[in-house]
Amino acid sequence: MHEKVLNLLETGKVDIFLGYKMMAGHPLPHAFGRHNPVEVQEMILGPARYPLEKLAVEILAARPDLKIGILARDCNRRALNVLTVHQQVAPGQVQVLEVSCCPSPLQRHADCSSLEAKEFGAGKKEIGIDNNLTPDRLEAMEPTERFSRWMYEFQKCLKCYGCRDICPVCFCRECSLEHEDLIGTGDLPPEVPIFHLVRAVHMAGRCIDCGLCEDACPVDIPLRLLYRKVNELVADLFDYKTGLSLEQPPFSLLFDKTAQPAAAPHGA
Amino acid sequence: MTLKRMRFLKELFAFMGLGGRLRLEWISSAEAQKFVKVVSEFTEEIRALGPNPVGRYTCESGKKIGRRAACPTAPDPVLADTAPGPHTVPRAAAEGR
Ligand code: SF4
Ligand code: SF4
Repeated sequence: MHEKVLNLLETGKVDIFLGYKMMAGHPLPHAFGRHNPVEVQEMILGPARYPLEKLAVEILAARPDLKIGILARDCNRRALNVLTVHQQVAPGQVQVLEVSCCPSPLQRHADCSSLEAKEFGAGKKEIGIDNNLTPDRLEAMEPTERFSRWMYEFQKCLKCYGCRDICPVCFCRECSLEHEDLIGTGDLPPEVPIFHLVRAVHMAGRCIDCGLCEDACPVDIPLRLLYRKVNELVADLFDYKTGLSLEQPPFSLLFDKTAQPAAAPHGA
Repeated sequence: MTLKRMRFLKELFAFMGLGGRLRLEWISSAEAQKFVKVVSEFTEEIRALGPNPVGRYTCESGKKIGRRAACPTAPDPVLADTAPGPHTVPRAAAEGR
């Protein structure tokens, strides 16, 4: 791994490489450069996950002349695909060095923080939602029960915007969640369920199910579960597989033609 | 597309437990009778569903609330779940949150 990164840097294929390094006892994202080849040896692999592709896109916005490499798991790749089809980055401008994430018979050792089992308290299971549930399991409940469980979860929201800030595919310069005409300001929790539903709708065709939002949420709202339902609907109704290829146009719920194949200019 | 978009929203609402409160119909300005029929039918459907549960999380002043503290006169929507439903919240569990 270290050799590959050194090689990318030395041959000029990339100018900086984003990986992880232990800093003050924490594995944090770090940019490795050609000027300091010794430091590359300090790059670590491990379960830590950050949206490195989002960082790369932000760096490129300030320094479009750079070529960037990133350490990428499958979710990073999917996010990069979404960012590319939305033209936030040119194809090939960010190079990926793949690392394995999900366990398989060939690779028993898995490196991803989302694979760590999470256990939630009895109170949350009783009146809230266990984040480990699948959309189907939740749908088996009565609608009134589901509603009161969702509201219990949403009301915990601190409006910290952690879910949006960590999300690799949240790249808009202006965010509806901060627009005071759309979502009232000055109160906690924010307007529920609007705050979370607005985000859910905006994740249609963008969310690549990395689960970073749920990891980031300080109050354990089952955000990934909500967006999994969104992804299910996007796949079933619009036949759109978010992040799986570069060959598809960007998905938009609001404009007809973008959700259609590029060849068909006017929507059905 | 509007059709699919509405199905998307309908299903998302249903997932939240707010199913049945959204409807899409095409009615031309020449179809007054259809308009009356659709509106009356939907009104009945909505009435049968009862008050919108989101309303229980709103103050009398119309201000949206989450917790009781933001609106002292309103009953805590989680503790005093007045709407009849299979999911009544045990007080002890709710307080231990
Ligand atoms: S799982 Fe969360 S953080 Fe990841 S892409 Fe979807 S919304 Fe964004
Ligand atoms: S991370 Fe959680 S608490 Fe923070 S804004 Fe998102 S949903 Fe709310």
